[in-house]
Amino acid sequence: MGKMQKANFSRLFFTKSTPRALSFAFCLMFFAFSFYGCGPHEKVARIAVALPLTGDIAALGQGIKRACQLALEQAQQQHRFPGFKVEMEAFDDRSDPKEAVDVANRIVSDPNTVAVIGHFNSGCSIPASQVYARNHLAMISPAASNPKLTQQQLDPSWHFPKAVFRVNTTDDVQGPFASEYAVNVLHLKRACIIHDKTAYGQGVAEEFLKRFEALGGIKLSFDGISVADKDFNALLTRLHELHPQVIYFGGDFAGGGLVVRQARGVGEKAMMILSEANYDPEYLRVAGAAAEGSYVTFLGSPSDLLPTAKFFLEAYHTRFPDSEPRAYDAYGYDAMNIFFSVLDKTGPDRDKILEALPNIDYKGVVGETKFDEKGDTLNHKITLFQVKEGKFTPIK
Amino acid sequence: MILQQLVNGLTLGSLYALIALGYTMVYGVLMMINFAHSEIFMSGAFVSLVSYMRLVRILPPIEALLISIALAMGSSALLAILVERFAYRPLRRSARLTPLISAIGVSILLQNAAFLFISDQSLAYPQIFTIHHFHGWGFEINSLQITILVVAFVLMLSLHLFVNKTRLGTAIRATAQDPATASLMGIPVNAIIALTFLLGGALGGVAGALNGMYYGSIKYNMGFVPGMKAFTAAVLGGIGNVPGAMWGGFILGVIESLAAGLIPSGSEWKDVIAFSILIVILLFRPEGLFGQRVTDKV
Repeated sequence: MGKMQKANFSRLFFTKSTPRALSFAFCLMFFAFSFYGCGPHEKVARIAVALPLTGDIAALGQGIKRACQLALEQAQQQHRFPGFKVEMEAFDDRSDPKEAVDVANRIVSDPNTVAVIGHFNSGCSIPASQVYARNHLAMISPAASNPKLTQQQLDPSWHFPKAVFRVNTTDDVQGPFASEYAVNVLHLKRACIIHDKTAYGQGVAEEFLKRFEALGGIKLSFDGISVADKDFNALLTRLHELHPQVIYFGGDFAGGGLVVRQARGVGEKAMMILSEANYDPEYLRVAGAAAEGSYVTFLGSPSDLLPTAKFFLEAYHTRFPDSEPRAYDAYGYDAMNIFFSVLDKTGPDRDKILEALPNIDYKGVVGETKFDEKGDTLNHKITLFQVKEGKFTPIK
Repeated sequence: MILQQLVNGLTLGSLYALIALGYTMVYGVLMMINFAHSEIFMSGAFVSLVSYMRLVRILPPIEALLISIALAMGSSALLAILVERFAYRPLRRSARLTPLISAIGVSILLQNAAFLFISDQSLAYPQIFTIHHFHGWGFEINSLQITILVVAFVLMLSLHLFVNKTRLGTAIRATAQDPATASLMGIPVNAIIALTFLLGGALGGVAGALNGMYYGSIKYNMGFVPGMKAFTAAVLGGIGNVPGAMWGGFILGVIESLAAGLIPSGSEWKDVIAFSILIVILLFRPEGLFGQRVTDKV
């Protein structure tokens, strides 16, 4: 019996299928050579950058991607990592939560990927973060500001290692900041609140409302809009009848510009306060003259106001002479450099990176970054801008 | 306030109606939904903006505006004819789904072309004349809204007269009724189909330019939502029926505005309300409000 099997086996392998066996061997050799090409011992540490690179807010995602690329090129020029090669790969989540999870699954399946910078939108970051955490992959978001993103890690149902960090401050700082300014400084007590129905927009609007009511303000309305509709005249006409003193908008510039412009169009005179995703030239372009006098909060300080960011802006202009730095580029740059500062010590190892990240103390472009127990930065600075003569002018 | 919301709704509805006419006329002659129409609308907005910015340097603003709208009309009409010639005509004898897929393909192609070659961001549409506000009984209307309503009304009236009172209009109606017989009667069916694309494209182009002026900004993906809404309006009025598309557009615009404007947090519910009404109407009148029940031609 055993002998027969052996005979069968040898016939199978050597007589019937010789060409197949040969081609298999060639394949093996080919593989061996192709790996030999990049050196037998050189390891790769890949950093995935997952951002909206197309779609409504593509310009912001592209900016962060450029900043990450700049950080990488600087590190490569300094030959910072002798033992391995650091690479960057960009992924497009199109600001779509479904796409973000899809991208996250692709990212974790690459064994050479050791860290993720992203995502931009809170609505994308929250579902994607669970994919990364399950696979022990550290993620630093350069822009997502909904508190839930890092808070979910303290939930008892979170069975994964703590892997989610962010370098920007959050909406539970930003929203209350705006309501305190409205009530205590501007003495405005009657508010209409509009949000764009995203995790970010609705989240920050709710944070604004919570503190606004706690300070004695009166909520007149709380409405969500679909930005793609473009026409909010009907809603704004109704709000106009409520005689608000302030209108707060939570959402990005795609909606903010249209809301402010149409509000002034229906004759609304109330003060406008907008969340930080409206700190962008596109808000000024879309709103036009209607933007005059409106307030926009911003997370941290924009790089052109920071002395620490001077060298970053210079390097950015030299490397990308055709593009202006956008609002979150400095955060992307810092996130990349935080990973580099950790990679120096840990090498390309997902778990070691996760252990090292909570203890960092990084002084970068946006200031000092230290993480609290959730993974949020302890830098809680908010800058307030008012639009004056068509420009964002810092107030405090 | 109801009057004010009616003004808002009629303005929005007249833009829907102008786009809906393009869907309904093409459906009338070809029994096909031209999904690329929303991108023809978008191209009109871009052409009008670019040409206005060029012309305003050498001409007074009002003349520059009129010429730029005419250019938007012309270029959108041309684009519509090209799309028909190269993406639909070769497929006219194939299964009915094939041109539909081709239409979706053209739509994606045009949108990405605008994204890649023109701009991936919003472009600001300048305010061309000072906006005056006029007060009526309990409502306010501004000069921009009046312009949009007047332009839309004039265009729709001329289209109505053209289709019903001219020889070419008769040829369009004949082709819509029965292309084979129409061609036996000596009507150049291919040219007539191209003509309906031309008319639909021209109206879509004007709608794009007006949309840009009204909302103050344009973007490569601006056609999608108005396109879907206008298509809905065309179905509501009875697809294939020209007055139906106009009424459908106005009705949809007014329902949306009343829902968003009168109900607290109605802006979240306006699409639900508008589409529920659409479903109810179609349950009782599957042919749409103005559509005629046609017995199958075969």
